[in-house]
Amino acid sequence: MTIVCAAYRRSILADPRDADLKLRAHRDSCAECAEFSQRVARFESRLARALAIDLDAAAGAARPFRARRAGSGYRGAGVGRRGWMALAASLTMAIGVAAGLWLAAPRASLAADVVTHMAEEPQAWRSTDVPVSSAALGAVLHDAHMRLTAKAGLVSYANSCLFRGHQVPHLVVQSDGGPVTVMVLVHESVPAEVQFADSGYRGVILPVPGHGSIAVLTRGAADRATVERIAARVLGAIVWTA
Amino acid sequence: MNDQAAGNAKRARFQALCQALRPDLLRFAFWLSRDHSVAEDVVQETMLRAWKAQDSLADEAAAKPWFLTIIRREYARTFERKRFDTVDVDALVASEEPLLAAEEAQDLAELRRAVFRLPDDYRLPLVLQVLMGYTTAEIARELDLSNAAVLTRLFRARQQLRVLCGENTRSDPE
Ligand SMILES: [Zn+2]
Ligand SMILES: [Zn+2]
Repeated sequence: MTIVCAAYRRSILADPRDADLKLRAHRDSCAECAEFSQRVARFESRLARALAIDLDAAAGAARPFRARRAGSGYRGAGVGRRGWMALAASLTMAIGVAAGLWLAAPRASLAADVVTHMAEEPQAWRSTDVPVSSAALGAVLHDAHMRLTAKAGLVSYANSCLFRGHQVPHLVVQSDGGPVTVMVLVHESVPAEVQFADSGYRGVILPVPGHGSIAVLTRGAADRATVERIAARVLGAIVWTA
Repeated sequence: MNDQAAGNAKRARFQALCQALRPDLLRFAFWLSRDHSVAEDVVQETMLRAWKAQDSLADEAAAKPWFLTIIRREYARTFERKRFDTVDVDALVASEEPLLAAEEAQDLAELRRAVFRLPDDYRLPLVLQVLMGYTTAEIARELDLSNAAVLTRLFRARQQLRVLCGENTRSDPE
C-alpha cells in the first residue's frame, strides 16, 4: 500500500460518495484500491439500510415484547404512537385546521421518502437551460445500467443519490412547466401507478416492469396531466443496458 | 383569500411538511438516543416546539436541518433532566433488540448493534451523513467542528464499525 493508497482509502472511509478527483483517478489505476472501494460500497449500502430502520413498522411487531430499561424514568412505552395521535388531535383542535392530515398514520411510504429526498437537494431545482455535462450524466446512467435518448429533453442535473439503501439516478429534466425531477428506482416495485401531492410537490410513481419504478415530481404549479405527460416522455427515453 | 384562510393554508402546509419529515426525524432521534421511547418523546416535543416557532422557518427546503437542531436541543434537555451518570450500552442494545433485529432485516441486526456501540462523537456525524444526507460542511456547521475533524470522525466511525462487524480490515489505512 502506497501513501496514495492510504490517502484514497482514508478518504472513502470518511465519505464514500466523495473522493476528490485525483484520488478517484488513483482507484481507476490501482486494482487493490478498486477492490477496496467495492467492499466499502457494499458495506455502505448495508449501513444505509441498517440506519433506515422503519420504526413505526418494526415497533408494531416488537413493542409487546419490549422490556423497559430498569430504573428508566421515562414515560412508559405507551407514549409512542398513541401520544403522537393525542398530540395531533389536540393540535388540530386547538388551531381549527380540518382534521385528517395529522391523523393519517405517519408511515414511511415510498412517495413520502421521495418528497423528503427532494427537500434535501434544493440545488437540483434550478430553472436553467444549461445541460449537465455529458460525462456527469453518463456516469450516473452507467451506474444504473441505462441510457437516455434525446427524447428525454434537456437534463440539467444528474446525481447518483443514496435512496433507501441504494444508489439511484436523480435527474432533473427541464420542461415548459419548469424543472421536473426524475428518480429511477430500480429497487422499488409498485403494483400500479401512485399519484401524490405532498408538501408542495406533485408527482407520480410509475411501475417499470422488470426495472422497478420511476418517480417523477414537479414543484409548484404543474397539473396532473403535465406530470403524467413528462413521466411518459422520460420513460419512453430510457434504454436499459442490462 | 382572506387572512384567516391564508393562515389556515399555511398551517396545513406546515402540518404536511411535519408529517413528511417525521419518519426521518424519528429515525434520527432513535440513533441519537438509542431508545425508541425517548426518540418518540423527543420528536413529539420537537414537533410541538416547531409548531410554535414555525414562523422562524424561512425556507421549507431548510426544514430538515431546522428540525434536527431542535431535536438535538430537546434530547440534550431530556438527557440533562434525567442525569444519567453512565450509559450502559449492553442494556441499550438488549432493550432495543426486537427493533434492531426486526424480522425482515436479520442481516442488518449486527450492524445496528455495532452502531449502538459507537461513541456519540462518531455515531452522530455518521448518522447525519448516511441517513440524513448531510455534506461534510453541513455536519461541521451542525456540530460546530472543522471539516477536517468531521472527516476524521467519519473515518474512525466506519473503521470501528467494520471491526465490530468482523469485516476484513487488513487493508484499511491507519
Ligand atoms: Zn491504491
Ligand atoms: Zn438526490
